[in-house]
Amino acid sequence: MLQFFFILFAPYLAWLVWAAFRYPVPLSYNWRSLWQRWVGTLATMGAVAIVVMIFVVVRSMATGVAKTYVKSGREDQVIVLRPNARVELMSVVMRDQARLISTHPLIARDELGPLVTADVVVTKQVPLADGTGSMSVSVRGTTPTGIRMRSQVKLVQGRWFLPNLSEVVVPRRLLGKYVGLGLGHSFAMASRRWTVVGVFDGAGSAFDSELWIDADDLVQAFHRWNAFSSVLVRLRQSENAQAFIADMERDVRLRLEAKTEPQYFAEMGDAGKPMQILGQIITVILTVGAIFAAMNTMYSAIAGRTSEIGTLRAIGYRRREILASFQWEAILLTLLGGVLGCACAFFFNGMQTGATSMMTFSDVGYAFAVTPALVGQGLAFSLVMGILGGFFPAWKASRMPIVEAMRGI
Amino acid sequence: MSNSGNDGNAGSNGGNGGGNGGNGEPIIRLRDLAKSYYRGSLEIPVLTGIDLDIPRGGYYALMGPSGSGKTTLLNLLAGIDRPTGGELEVCGYRLNDFDDNELASWRATNVGFIFQNYNLIPVLNAYENIELPLLLTELSRAQRRERVLEALQLVNLTEQMQHFPRQLSGGQEQRVAIARAIVHDPDLIVADEPTGALDAKNAEEALNLIQHLNEELGKTIVMVTHDPKAARHAHIQIHLEKGVLDRTVEVHELPPREPLLGGRVPH
Repeated sequence: MLQFFFILFAPYLAWLVWAAFRYPVPLSYNWRSLWQRWVGTLATMGAVAIVVMIFVVVRSMATGVAKTYVKSGREDQVIVLRPNARVELMSVVMRDQARLISTHPLIARDELGPLVTADVVVTKQVPLADGTGSMSVSVRGTTPTGIRMRSQVKLVQGRWFLPNLSEVVVPRRLLGKYVGLGLGHSFAMASRRWTVVGVFDGAGSAFDSELWIDADDLVQAFHRWNAFSSVLVRLRQSENAQAFIADMERDVRLRLEAKTEPQYFAEMGDAGKPMQILGQIITVILTVGAIFAAMNTMYSAIAGRTSEIGTLRAIGYRRREILASFQWEAILLTLLGGVLGCACAFFFNGMQTGATSMMTFSDVGYAFAVTPALVGQGLAFSLVMGILGGFFPAWKASRMPIVEAMRGI
Repeated sequence: MSNSGNDGNAGSNGGNGGGNGGNGEPIIRLRDLAKSYYRGSLEIPVLTGIDLDIPRGGYYALMGPSGSGKTTLLNLLAGIDRPTGGELEVCGYRLNDFDDNELASWRATNVGFIFQNYNLIPVLNAYENIELPLLLTELSRAQRRERVLEALQLVNLTEQMQHFPRQLSGGQEQRVAIARAIVHDPDLIVADEPTGALDAKNAEEALNLIQHLNEELGKTIVMVTHDPKAARHAHIQIHLEKGVLDRTVEVHELPPREPLLGGRVPH
C-alpha cells in the first residue's frame, strides 16, 4: 500500500524535493516555527510516534514469525505430506507409504542408515505457568534420525528420550512458560505420564515451540498404528529435490505432496498473517487519527501565521513556494514522530514472545525483528502521514489572498 | 538622483492627479483605476476613476481619512491586489495582464515593502529576515551575504544581525524591515503607515531612512500615512476622499536632512 502511495504521489514528492532546493522559504523557518508551538508539535509528534511504533512492531512480529520458520528448514530436505494438508498436523502418511518412501534412491545416508524420519505430530493443551489458562502445544513424535536431521536442535540439558519409557524432551523456550515442563517434572497425556528428561534449544526455529518424544511411544499412546503425519527425507543433493518431489506425486502408490523444507516453512510463516492483518486494521484506524492530528496542528499553525504568509507572498514568494514550505513543515513534524516511533519500536527488537499459529492452532514462539527495512517503512509511513495531513492546510495557506492574510484574518 | 521635492508639477485636482515629484517618465501610471469589493451581489466601490502618474524617483504620500481607499490604492500599485477596472502600469509592466505567479515574480523584483507593524518573521533573526527577498534571486550565498551586510550597514544594525525581532526595539524592527525592503534593489518602495507604531524619535529616524532611500538611492517611494509630519517628508501629498483623488499638494518645505546612514547597496 505504501508503494502504491509513493507511485501515485511520486511527481508531487519529486516536486517537493525540487522545491526545497529551488527558491525555498528556508526550512529553518519551518523548523523553528514548529518549536514556537511546541505543545501542539509534541502532542502531534507523540500521536504519530505511537502509530509508527505500532506499525513497525506489528510488522516486526510478522517478520519475526517468518524468520522463525526460515530458520527451520534445509534446502536438501524434503517433507512429504498428504496432498493439500499444508501442515503436518493435518497430514496423514500411511505406514507402508512411509516405508516405500524410505527406499527411494535419491535419499542420502549417513553411517547409521538412510536419513529418513516418519514423524507424528499432535497437539496437547498445557496449562500456562502464570495461571491464565492453557495453550495448545505441538507434540512431535520423532526418531533418533529425526533428531540428527534437525541439526539446529541441540540438547542443552539432560538427555534425549529413550523408546518405550514415555519420556519427553522440551525446548528451553517453553521452560517456565508452562506448568510441568521443567527437567524431571512429569505430566499426563493420552492416559500416560510423561517425564521430562532433557531440554533442547532450537536456535529460534519452529522446533522451539514443540515437545519431542519417541515416535513409537506417541503412536502407541494415541493409537495411531497405521499412520504418521509426515515423512522427512534428506536428499543426496539439493538439486534432486524437484525430481524427488515429482516422484512422490507421480507414484500411484503414493500420490503425496512433497515440498522442500524452506518452502514448507515459508508457507508456515504465513501464520503471522492474521496477526499482521489485525495489526494493519488497527494501524489504519490510528493512522487516520494521526493524520487528522497533524492536519489540525498545521491548520492552527497556519491560522496563527496568516500575516507571516501574507508577508512572504507580498515579498514575492509564489503560492507554490508557500505550499511547499508548509507541506515540508508538516512532513518535518510527522517525520520527527516517525523517528521517535521507530526508536520506541527498537525496544521490542529481539524480545521473545509467542502466538497461536492459525495454521497449526498451536503456540509458535518468535522474536520481534525490527529490521532496517522496517525502520525505513516506518519513516516512509510517517512521511505519508505528513503529506496527507499537511497538504490541505498547506494548500489553504498558499491560496490565502495576500491583502486579507496581511491583515491577519 | 536627488530631488528637491518641490520642483514637480502638482497637477490639477480631480484630473490627472500626479505631479512629477521626481524626474523622467512615470514609474506608475494609473488610468481610470477602480477597485470594488463584492458582498454577495452587492458592489462596494472603494476606488473610482483614479488617474495618476508618479515619476521615477518620486516620493509620494497617500493621505486621507480612514476608508478613503489609500491603502487599497497602495496595495494595487504594489501588485498585491487587483483592480476591478482601469489601467495599472507600474515599473513598465501592465499589471492588469499578470497572473498570480507573474505578479509574485514582478513584486520580487520591483517592489520593497515597509509595513506599519514591520511584519518581520518572528522565528528568523534580523539577518535572515533581510535575506528573504534574496532567496528568490539567483544570487549565491556569498553574494546574498554581501548584500544583506550592506543593507544592515545602511540601517545601522550590523551588530544586531543575529537578534530575533523580539530582541529588537520597535525602531530597530522597522529598520530591519526597511533593510529587507531595499536589499534586492527594487525600483519602488511602498510603505504603509511606516511610523504608525513608532514613537516620535524612532518615527523620525525611519522617515529619514526612507528619505535617504529616495534621495541617495533613487528609489521611488509611495507611502500611506495619517501623520502630517511624516507626509512632509514626501515631495507630493495625494489626498484621497471616498475613493477618489481629492487634491494633490506639493510640499514646499522639506525637513532638514539627517546625515546619511551606511553605504549604498550596489546595483
